[in-house]
Amino acid sequence: MSASMDAAITARPLDEDKNAQDKKKASARSAKVRNGFEITVLSAPAIIVFVFFVIVPIILGAYYGLYKWKGFGSPSTTGTFVGLQNYITALKDPTFQSAIGHTFLVLIGSLILQGPLSILFALLLNQKFKGRALIRTLIFVPYVVSEVIVGTGWSLLLQKAGAINALLEKMHLAGIDWIANPKYAIWTLLVIITWKYIGFAVILMLAGMQSIPEELYEAAKVDGAGFWQMQKDITLPLLAPTIRIWAFLSMIGSLQLFDLVYIIWGQYVADTAGVSTMATYMVREGRIAGNYGYGSAVALIMFIISLIVALTYQHFVLNRDLDGALTDAKSEKKRKKKLMKEQQMAKEAIAIADSEVK
Amino acid sequence: MKFKTIAAATLAAATMFSMAACGNNGASKADDSTITFWHNSTAGEGKQYWDDVAAAFEKANPGVKVEVQSIQNEDFDGKLQTAMQDPSTGPDVFMQRGGEKTEDLIEAGQLMDLSDKIDDTIKTDMKTALTAATFDDKVYGVPVSVEPGGLWYSVDLFKQAGITDTPTTWDDLLKDATQLKDAGIDAIALGAKDAWPAAHWFYWLALRECSPKAFQSAVGDKDFSDQCWVDAGNKLEDLNKLGVFNDGFLTTSAQQGASSSAGLLANHKAAMELMGAWEPGVVKDLTPDKTAMKDLSYFAFPSVEGGKGEEGALMGGVTFFSVNALAGDNAVKFVNFIASKENQENYAKAFSTIPASEPARNVVTDPALKTVISYLDKAPTMQQWMDTDLGSNVGNALNTAIVNMLTGKGTVDDIISTMKSAAAK
Amino acid sequence: MSAATLSVSGRRSRKNNSPRNLKKEGYRVSQKTPWGNPIVYFFSLLLVAICVSPVLYIIFGGFRTNSQITNDPAGWPNPWNAQNYISVVTSSTFWIEMVNSIIVAICTVVGVVVLAVMVSFAISRYHFKMSKAMYSLFSAGLMFPMTVAITPLYLMVRNLGLANSLGGIILPQIAFGLPQAIIILVPFLQSIPLELEEACMLDGCSRLGFFWRMALPLAMPGVATVGILTFVSSWNSYMLPLFVLNTENNYTLPLGVQMFSSQHSADTAQVLAFTSLAMLPALICFTIFQKKIVGGLTGAVKG
Repeated sequence: MSASMDAAITARPLDEDKNAQDKKKASARSAKVRNGFEITVLSAPAIIVFVFFVIVPIILGAYYGLYKWKGFGSPSTTGTFVGLQNYITALKDPTFQSAIGHTFLVLIGSLILQGPLSILFALLLNQKFKGRALIRTLIFVPYVVSEVIVGTGWSLLLQKAGAINALLEKMHLAGIDWIANPKYAIWTLLVIITWKYIGFAVILMLAGMQSIPEELYEAAKVDGAGFWQMQKDITLPLLAPTIRIWAFLSMIGSLQLFDLVYIIWGQYVADTAGVSTMATYMVREGRIAGNYGYGSAVALIMFIISLIVALTYQHFVLNRDLDGALTDAKSEKKRKKKLMKEQQMAKEAIAIADSEVK
Repeated sequence: MKFKTIAAATLAAATMFSMAACGNNGASKADDSTITFWHNSTAGEGKQYWDDVAAAFEKANPGVKVEVQSIQNEDFDGKLQTAMQDPSTGPDVFMQRGGEKTEDLIEAGQLMDLSDKIDDTIKTDMKTALTAATFDDKVYGVPVSVEPGGLWYSVDLFKQAGITDTPTTWDDLLKDATQLKDAGIDAIALGAKDAWPAAHWFYWLALRECSPKAFQSAVGDKDFSDQCWVDAGNKLEDLNKLGVFNDGFLTTSAQQGASSSAGLLANHKAAMELMGAWEPGVVKDLTPDKTAMKDLSYFAFPSVEGGKGEEGALMGGVTFFSVNALAGDNAVKFVNFIASKENQENYAKAFSTIPASEPARNVVTDPALKTVISYLDKAPTMQQWMDTDLGSNVGNALNTAIVNMLTGKGTVDDIISTMKSAAAK
Repeated sequence: MSAATLSVSGRRSRKNNSPRNLKKEGYRVSQKTPWGNPIVYFFSLLLVAICVSPVLYIIFGGFRTNSQITNDPAGWPNPWNAQNYISVVTSSTFWIEMVNSIIVAICTVVGVVVLAVMVSFAISRYHFKMSKAMYSLFSAGLMFPMTVAITPLYLMVRNLGLANSLGGIILPQIAFGLPQAIIILVPFLQSIPLELEEACMLDGCSRLGFFWRMALPLAMPGVATVGILTFVSSWNSYMLPLFVLNTENNYTLPLGVQMFSSQHSADTAQVLAFTSLAMLPALICFTIFQKKIVGGLTGAVKG
């Protein structure tokens, strides 16, 4: 039972014949009542807005998924109830299967490409030098610019008769079909994604680096460690929580990837080029094709896949840091123990560092 | 617990709110003095035309207000579908292109039967165009334009390659395309990024190869068993093997701006393109000085040796405007108003296209469009674009399969099997 | 919390009175930032070039004509053609849309920040069992694409009488912005040491008093982070305005791009000019808050 439930029950007027001992409890209880009230006031507005505009539409979307429905009228009158048939058709469709495959390629590719690169770039920008703030802002530019603009720009650059090939031609090199050729398309996509989102990763990593106490480096220097040695022994381990959160956000982002592929490749060529994602499949077979019921079913499959990935990741990796948002309380104890140990170690490390600096 | 209570109460309230729409379906619109009108011309003269027509209608009918909204073509269907979730607040008059999407609306009871409500002049002047808006002998829309397809080409580039006569048979076309290629010219611009321009080649070949009966049973019953479908696919593959499409056609969009296939034609970077009758209007915006392309001309899709299709049959689209089933009399008045000869003439000028009204076609001055009209007058039938007719469900799958074939990823047989599986969604 | 967290809070207290202390301890000899190693500049500028040049291509593209773009994709504007930019800047619709976008973005940011800070405070500083469920509920919202929910979402907006109004965009955007904001803010608020709260209590402040006087100021960088991320996503949002807004006077900038793509063609050069100008406010906003965002994310990351 929750604390607030306790509070609600005990909020009833106390019986006359309770003994004096209760008085203490009563004050504790009134604190609980107040707590419950405060929680309500603090969380109610957000919950109301969220349920109204996110949860209910999602539930209705899931309901549409049970119908073969063209989107006009209501599903129960103009649609045909097909139960789980939409879900089965989707999972059996080889186009969807390959879209799932591409999505996971993107997921893994982004982690492998962006992770090390962003750490290296962050190390670079973590050096103290004039103009650092400006450079930090500029590498964030691709992240600020909308996907639609980015997509338009890159398609003009990368088309077979586009700017990059024209430039190559001027240098007497043969151009490549960057977008349509299945051999290169997925790499093109990964490069564009890296370009677009690396700024965000770099800023995260930079932020993580700010939080590493300089004392540790000073101490290591005294011990005669080189630059790379220090990064390996100090930066990387202490950056781990940052890396883990970034990886989580990156994974969720990859699973929902839509705009860039849709704008640069279009709904048809994405398939042939081997870069279609779950979301482009959903939009093409759902909204564009007018199969609203089917599209909703695909969206729910996407949601479940995302959830499984998130749960797995949180269970094995993230719950070292986060309050195991989606996992149960069992791991809590283990986690706390581990945290205590980590804290202890960190304290010791700082103590050592401090003493050595002095 | 607090959380649960809040969540549960909100959930209940929210569900009520979102479902509230369903009760309204029967009631007709309360306010008839304002008409909401949705079209898809978001820019230039087309947009101006509709604003002017709305103003003229308001002037002729004091007290009536027309709220015009232009929605980008690609977003139109999605937005209409969402708005028509509650027809009582949906638009009163809106653009339609026929085919299965219109049928879906009719099936949901959301389009008004206009059979007895349109002026007699419409029935006579727009006779051919009206068939595209007629379902089960009932008229569900008022046409504004007829856009048959065909090959648009640059006279100068054809001359440059030494071609004097436009091809009339498929073999001629293959020969001329090769001749252009040998002269160092990209023979055919193809916007395969959008898939449908590539698919049009297949549709036209099918129209020439298939007997009217086989064609109808494919469109109606989704039966693609006739050999003519395979023959059409093979012919397209022959063309593809010649390598006469523009370099990088897979990443070329049809009309989206400067580097599209229409842009290639406009800038003399490719010699011809298979496209609908909107082509002159599109090309005009993409030429270096933004004026009409001077050497643009038209020839009809060539005939195929041994083909069972009707001689001279055309394929194309008809744009018409439908009325919300719950709309009032003013909305009906409005669709009749836009079909008048005068408005149709202005339409033809504003959109550089062929108006649905046959008497209004006199105002067309563009020589290429005049050629199209002469073919149109001779044509025994004008078939609806095949993907529109099949419905986006099967049509989309068909478009994809054809692109796959052009890239060598799929075969002719795949096209036919893809269409069958698409019907399951 | 993890090692990083602890050290952060340790560092923060030091940072608060930093310049003097640091000097005294001899960490930094001069307060001026030194010029860096040429190698550092070389790689930084290379990185900047890679990041910025595609965007520059878009901006320069706006100075060309469609025909130039087709005929010489990699060329410079020749001749320079400012007409595209001039026609955007002189059109009143552009400015109306700009104002609408600003209204929507600011309201969304305020809404997301206020609601997310409140609920994050409840989740992170009160002990009740449902806090986890709440956190899960909100983070699950991150995994569902808006594309599918758009039809029911539109009905909701319309039934609340918000169709074709800026409010009809702001409220759903707040709702969809909450998950990310909460995921960033919760660890941030959690990392405020318990000792601070206890000290505040001893001074006689209530939980809410602590929230107002201590937690909020300490979480300021986190709030700035959430604010800027929300601003950017609201600024670029296309789908929701498309479905909710019906009259041009209510359009936001992303919808305005439509003006340049008609039924059958798009005016690429105009689109490039329009989008180049439209991205400016978001960039300015980011530049101003850039320093705070680094501070803010530090908090988010400590977990």
